[in-house]
Amino acid sequence: MADTASFEQRLSQAADASERLRKAIGKVLVGQTQVVDQVLWGIIAGGHVLLEGAPGLGKTLLVRTLASALELNFSRIQFTPDLMPSDVIGTNVLVMDQATSGGRQFALHKGPIFGQVILADEINRATPKTQSALLEAMQEHAVTIAGKRHVLDEPFFVLATENPIEMEGTYPLPEAQLDRFLLKVIVPSPSEDEMTEILVRTTGHEVPPPACVLSREDVLALRSLCRDIAVAEPVLRYASRLVAASDPTGKTATDLVKRGLRYGAGVRGAQSLVLASKSVAMLEGRAHIAFADLQRVALPALRHRMIRSFEGEADGITTDQIVEELLRCVPSRPDAVEQAVRKG
Amino acid sequence: MSSDADTFHRLFKRWARGVRTRITLRHALTGLAAGALVSVVAAAGAWKSRHGTWRPWMAGAAGVGLVAGAAVSLRKRWTDADVAMFLDGRLASNETLTTAVELRNRAKDEDVARAVVVKQAVETLEKGAAKVARPRVLRWEHVLIPLGAAAFVAVVRLPEPVVAAVPTSPGVQPVQIAQVEGLEKVIALGALATPDPAQRERLKKIAQDAEKLKEKLRAGMEVREAQSELAKLRDAVAAERLSIGDGERRAGLEAAAGRLGQEKALKEAAKALGDRDLTRFDEEMQKLANAREKADRDAAKSALEEAAEAAKKGGAPDVAKMLEEERKLFDERSKRGEALRELAKELGEGLSPEAKKDLEDFERDGSDKSSGKLAERLADALEKLTPEERKRLAERLKEQAENGGAGPMGKEQLRDMAKQLESPNGQKELEEQLRKMANEPPTSGDAERERGLDDAERGVGDAEKQLGGMPVPMEGAGSGGDGKPGDKGPNAGNPGGNTAGGGDNKAPGGSGSHHDTGRGNHKGSTNKVEGDDLRSRASGAINPGAAMPGTVTGRGRGRAGDSANVRGSEGIGEVGPSEVNGVERSDIPEEYREQVGRYFSP
Repeated sequence: MADTASFEQRLSQAADASERLRKAIGKVLVGQTQVVDQVLWGIIAGGHVLLEGAPGLGKTLLVRTLASALELNFSRIQFTPDLMPSDVIGTNVLVMDQATSGGRQFALHKGPIFGQVILADEINRATPKTQSALLEAMQEHAVTIAGKRHVLDEPFFVLATENPIEMEGTYPLPEAQLDRFLLKVIVPSPSEDEMTEILVRTTGHEVPPPACVLSREDVLALRSLCRDIAVAEPVLRYASRLVAASDPTGKTATDLVKRGLRYGAGVRGAQSLVLASKSVAMLEGRAHIAFADLQRVALPALRHRMIRSFEGEADGITTDQIVEELLRCVPSRPDAVEQAVRKG
Repeated sequence: MSSDADTFHRLFKRWARGVRTRITLRHALTGLAAGALVSVVAAAGAWKSRHGTWRPWMAGAAGVGLVAGAAVSLRKRWTDADVAMFLDGRLASNETLTTAVELRNRAKDEDVARAVVVKQAVETLEKGAAKVARPRVLRWEHVLIPLGAAAFVAVVRLPEPVVAAVPTSPGVQPVQIAQVEGLEKVIALGALATPDPAQRERLKKIAQDAEKLKEKLRAGMEVREAQSELAKLRDAVAAERLSIGDGERRAGLEAAAGRLGQEKALKEAAKALGDRDLTRFDEEMQKLANAREKADRDAAKSALEEAAEAAKKGGAPDVAKMLEEERKLFDERSKRGEALRELAKELGEGLSPEAKKDLEDFERDGSDKSSGKLAERLADALEKLTPEERKRLAERLKEQAENGGAGPMGKEQLRDMAKQLESPNGQKELEEQLRKMANEPPTSGDAERERGLDDAERGVGDAEKQLGGMPVPMEGAGSGGDGKPGDKGPNAGNPGGNTAGGGDNKAPGGSGSHHDTGRGNHKGSTNKVEGDDLRSRASGAINPGAAMPGTVTGRGRGRAGDSANVRGSEGIGEVGPSEVNGVERSDIPEEYREQVGRYFSP
């Protein structure tokens, strides 16, 4: 009984924390509630988030505000074509030891990756070599410099942004790198009301950054609680079916998938679905995930994991269309049960 | 924790039972609906196939459907997870029940969220509206149950279909006739005199067959069998009629007919010969033999001799023989006619008006019949002569004999007649001769046979009518028109044809043959036809003296490739050895073989 009360309490606290965080961000950022939610899912699930949107939509502001609201170290890396991997992860530098022998020795000069909330701004402007410098950090939360492995402080997460309209001089992220991001969030343009509110806030006195609402421990507790969320086998099977149906060579692939895709979402896609769904359930105060949670996170969790075929690109088939097709065609329940649910 | 789990277990069990029961019921009803449909179809099939008593048993299909539906439902029984998913879907509980059911199977310490999930599940079940979460039992297809039941009852109550009467084969009905008049004429063929032994045998065979058929009909037999036998007889008689100048002798027959046709007076006789109508041929010869002009008689006689010669050369000895016999008859008839004319002339005013009329008739048609009548009248006239008149008649005959006589009746003949008239006994003898002449006219054996065969053919037709069938239309076999009121004899009526007259007299008309002109009133005329209205006429050149190439006289065989203008080659009707009796070896039912065989016979 005590366990039940404790778990319910934790759930309740998590819901409160997320609400506080939302409010803090909302004081600075106008609108973009869905984007904020999706970024929160990513942070709570312990994953990295790729934000894609046109310039001026508040991507950087969102990340900066988030970093301010969390009591975590924030680093910003502005990716440019001449950025080197050592600029990201750091390097050993030769320094004079004047206090003792006056000899010289190598000292580690940590790069911006040694933070907890990393803003990789315009990540697609760096060369693939520099982009891949992030791979180890994102996957293993550690970097290796001069043969020595350095574990990064937890919680560690990367929030990368990319601009989809200025493609000249950019280097699209390789599939391996994209796969490291738990979610890819599309930042939409603000509505008229939101735009008006943005103008009010940004043309007057500068808005102070939000106060810190969540400590490092709070974030880690949320992550831990997220992992405790229960998942029933039918829900896991639904996630598997969704991912399997995205394989154009699979038996359950639809015509659109066969035509539009070269490769479907892999195992990481299914993992992302479930983890993000757990975040959703947790933030809604549930101890288990539902089919609807999977359907809510399917777009940000899968859209960047599918590789379109030549025909798909030529026909203008987007991965979002594919995911929507999967959600429409793949039944969450067995046919007989689904019919009974619909017809009674 | 434990109590929540137990509560959930108990609640879920109850809900699941309700769901499964309703689903089983639905499947069973679906099976029942399908079974009802099958029952109706099966019952209708039984009704259609006239197994009406089986119909009620077809209701078993509905029962089988019900059981099968329930069995299928049990086989596809929903698992707890399925039930939980259904309940989650209906209660909008975000898979709480599904997760709770799943966690039930895991170790207790594995999931820290278990207690919360189970608690939420219990709350869901306790607050859930049972009505919402009930699977629907009735579906649209279940409407087939009442409809099927109604249709089944209707089909079961349908009266049995009426069995259509099996049609009997035509002609299988029995017939029994004690006396068939027509067959007597066929039987009479056995007594016909003929110089040809083969023909005599054939005629006897026909007569015997007719006799057998008569006996069978008396005992009773199938109509079709009787008709078949009659058809055989008809064919045998027809074949006999056409036997003269048949086959290889045809050339001779045609040559003889051609020779006769060269004489204008013999055109009709030639045609009759070509048609192998010996009766008509003999009648034509009678007219010529009794003709008044000697030149005509001589020309006819000469043509007959030459025709006989041509027939002989043409390979038709039977035709030649018949023509020679006809020529002898021709002489005899000529002499007889002359004698009658001379006697009538000498009797002069002593003749009665009837005798004078008969003399006129004789001069007009020249038939043996009219000559017989005239001879009868002359005998009557002689009988009435006084002795003085008898002496004067004898004197006149003597004088005529002295003067050289006339025609075939020479001096000796006239002298004999005068001598006979000198005494009463001689007169008696002359009377007897005249009466004999009247009653026993000279006849042709062939013509007699022909008449006999004609009679036999008509007899077969009469027998067919007596059997109730429609006799085969044929020349000379018509029933004739009914006589008009007031007409005299039983044969009064219009000749020929199968038409049924509209007269009031119910007496049978003439035989219909062109040989029988009837004794009724034949006066009358058709409507006038204005010559100006006739705009067309036949202007084709006719090849005189010989038949057009390709034409076939009578019922003789044609030739392959024959047309109106081209003479064909090769005889049709020639068959290979393997084709002989092909009909008999075929699959044609036995009772029809005769007719089919006749149809294909050349």
